[in-house]
Amino acid sequence: MATTVEHEHQVLRYRTKQRIVHALLATSFVVLLLTGLVLLWDPLGWLAAGGWSRLIHRIGAIGFLAVPAAYLILDRKGARELVYDSFRYDRDDIEWFKTMYRYFLGHAVEMPPQGRLNAGQKLHHAAVMLVSATVVVSGLAMWFFKPQLGASGLAAAAVIHDLSMLALTLFLIGHLYFTYVYKAISGMTTGWVEEADARLEHSKWMDELDAQAEAVTVGSGASSHDEVSQEDQSQEDQSQEG
Amino acid sequence: MAQAFVLDLGRCIGCEACALACKTGNELPTGVSYIELIEQVRGSFPDLEGGFDNHRCLHCQDAACVAVCPTGALYKEDGLTRLNTPACSGCEYCVTSCPYDVPRMVDGASTKCDGCKATTDAGGGPWCVSTCPSKALEYGERSEMLRTARTRAEALRAHYPNAQVYGETQAGGLGVILVLPDDPEVLGLPRDPDPPTVANVWQGVVQPVSIGLIGATAVAAGVAGVIARRNHMAELRDIEEAEQLVGDGDSSEEA
Ligand code: HEM
Ligand code: SF4
Ligand code: SF4
Repeated sequence: MATTVEHEHQVLRYRTKQRIVHALLATSFVVLLLTGLVLLWDPLGWLAAGGWSRLIHRIGAIGFLAVPAAYLILDRKGARELVYDSFRYDRDDIEWFKTMYRYFLGHAVEMPPQGRLNAGQKLHHAAVMLVSATVVVSGLAMWFFKPQLGASGLAAAAVIHDLSMLALTLFLIGHLYFTYVYKAISGMTTGWVEEADARLEHSKWMDELDAQAEAVTVGSGASSHDEVSQEDQSQEDQSQEG
Repeated sequence: MAQAFVLDLGRCIGCEACALACKTGNELPTGVSYIELIEQVRGSFPDLEGGFDNHRCLHCQDAACVAVCPTGALYKEDGLTRLNTPACSGCEYCVTSCPYDVPRMVDGASTKCDGCKATTDAGGGPWCVSTCPSKALEYGERSEMLRTARTRAEALRAHYPNAQVYGETQAGGLGVILVLPDDPEVLGLPRDPDPPTVANVWQGVVQPVSIGLIGATAVAAGVAGVIARRNHMAELRDIEEAEQLVGDGDSSEEA
């Protein structure tokens, strides 16, 4: 028994629940960005009349704040792996950063072997987590404590908020850039990516999956890169942890 | 031409005629007031003296409220600070930033004196000025108002040795030039309001730099992305061709 016909030569990269969390993050971020820019960029200022953009900004903020909670509730293992992976760099990762300009220009061949997340993805995810904290804290300060902040405090909070927004938006542009260059969108839409692409860009991850599949095949004869078996496996792991 | 008010606190008797005329003339809803008369006890015991703070927008030339307003609801015109209420977003940036604690939020929008734009545009005088029974208020061209204020302060000095003009330089020069019977601190006014340094960085540096960097990066990424994707597709083709060669080799061997 091989992979299901539907996902022949494909490998599952993001489980359904992970994709839901990602969609919540992406949607709330775009909503926050657009409604924020309305206040930041004078030519758009008229759109804020009546306060609608500010109301929507707050709704977006609640969605944004719910992201970590949603990840922990829906897929604790995924959330934990994300944090663990994003802050851990091995020698291949360091080598990867040194030749990153090649990857930037679209050359994945001859890059140092990478795990499930490449070094750039790790750094991106880590930076998003850290800068999200500053955007959230400064945003909540402006939401609930404007009178206490005073003139300089409000301006300082807005400076932190805006610079965090700037960083996150530049990260987003980079994120979309690599998604486009390496035609990686299916990982977040369907959850599946081409096995050949994964072997080229994440060879250490594929080696791991092969090793796991071998172990499973030896044990039970189950299939390798199959959504059901992988989701089952993660749930088993979860129940073991809990 | 920059217009201005003179507000002579040496003459203000706190009768509230100005506040009432303003409310009626500008048809302000109940609960809204552009002028607040606040009774003050000035000086230190035993030399106490009663007076009134005629609290209202002072129409700063370098108005912090205008600098931070994201919608353009607050703007400068003829030296005065106007407010176009329908454009207000209710963000309260102006409330927090005004050095004289002037704007108030009413029904989700900022409210403050707009210098009687409607009345003066129609050729009349501001409601408060035409009403004041004590002649504490005047309105006209700013340089002339400054002269008037100096003359009044000079006259006031006969009784109040510390009498002075306030608003020549504060916040870039005020559009309401005050004649004070005493030092500003005694009357609860900052001698010089803090310059809005952080707000200037926010509005003048951080905001434009953010927009510029986001725009430039998006354009650069768009161009670079097309090139890089082409590179990647080429390398994928190379891999495929190489595999096919190997595959052909295999099949010929098999054949
Ligand atoms: C929990 C998250 C967030 C909260 C609580 C929050 C809250 C706020 C608040 C209270 C303001 C001030 C204006 C107002 O009172 O309506 C503001 C402004 C703004 N926000 Fe957020 N925000 C959050 C996340 C974000 C994110 C993720 C972005 C960007 C992607 C963003 C972009 C902006 C921008 C650009 C402004 C305008 C600041 C200026 O006037 O220069 N915010 N936000
Ligand atoms: S006194 Fe306050 S509301 Fe009036 S112009 Fe100055 S900053 Fe603006
Ligand atoms: S509350 Fe209204 S007038 Fe005041 S800064 Fe915000 S948009 Fe401008």
